[in-house]
Amino acid sequence: MAPASQPRPPGATLTAAGCWRGARAILAVLPPVFVFGVAFGIAARGVGIEGWVAALMSMAAFAGAAQFAVLDLWTSPVPWLPLLVATFAINARHILLGASLRGLCRGLPAWKVYGAMALLSDLNWAALIAAERRGERDLGYLVGGGALMWVTWVSATVIGAVAGGLTLDDVKTYALDLVLVAFFATTLVGLRRGRVDDLPWLVAGLAALGAVWFLPPNWHVMVGGLAGGLAGLIRDELKRP
Amino acid sequence: MSTTNALLVVLAMALVTYATRAGGIFLVGFVPMSARTENFLRYLAGAVLVALVVPATVRGGPEGYVAVGVAILARLVLRKALPAIALGILAAALWRGYMGVS
Repeated sequence: MAPASQPRPPGATLTAAGCWRGARAILAVLPPVFVFGVAFGIAARGVGIEGWVAALMSMAAFAGAAQFAVLDLWTSPVPWLPLLVATFAINARHILLGASLRGLCRGLPAWKVYGAMALLSDLNWAALIAAERRGERDLGYLVGGGALMWVTWVSATVIGAVAGGLTLDDVKTYALDLVLVAFFATTLVGLRRGRVDDLPWLVAGLAALGAVWFLPPNWHVMVGGLAGGLAGLIRDELKRP
Repeated sequence: MSTTNALLVVLAMALVTYATRAGGIFLVGFVPMSARTENFLRYLAGAVLVALVVPATVRGGPEGYVAVGVAILARLVLRKALPAIALGILAAALWRGYMGVS
């Protein structure tokens, strides 16, 4: 038996109970996910994509913003380079999300970690890091939330592709487009540790806005996240005696 | 677009997207774990969230500010996320009802 003199951080787990907690945590954002999924199904049919191809895209890519962006590029011949660049640029933020989950993957076998990452998305990630602050150590939280969103997203795509009739204006009328922002904002409140976060968060916000104004679309999360993280790190290094 | 090309596009999107999802945890594995790294990753989580919220709020216009402002206030007072989100959306919906969809 190893001596327990060195206290090690507890390893992460991946359990069904964790999946269940994660699924419950994202219930509030399922309505907008559903509505945007329906809207995607309709829009996909609108540019001539067959319903089953749209459904397949939702299953395999599971990336709302990128899927909408690709609709603009759905032409013959296929504009491969813009298509791949757009998909990467819109999804590049996942790299930062994944990196920040390092502690929650500690000690788990690679297949579980890389399996769970297939369902990584902004919403279940935000729910998980908020829960981590409250002591959550189960990567299943990500999987459960992601799986529920995946099922919602795919079935909504199918419904939109088959039925149709809804427009993005309807979504705006009921303010559903703001549910995701409100969800992220309330998560932020739970994540705040105190004054120590002021500077990094200010830098992140300004950098993200700057990126919206001065950079091509979709880089703001990456730029803001990195800038804020670095700001906090550099400030702490300078304060160190 | 031919069916073959459509399927190739879907496949390419899936591969690129999964690469970004798996890339973060893969790349951070090459960084030695130190107090400094942990510190950076902790700041990173909050900063990413701020970078998601701020531009989306600004893009939302007045309703964006109403929804986010009310949601944050309610979250601080009620200490519960779900009712806070509901109140934020309700406030934005009322705003839209009176001011019209911007």
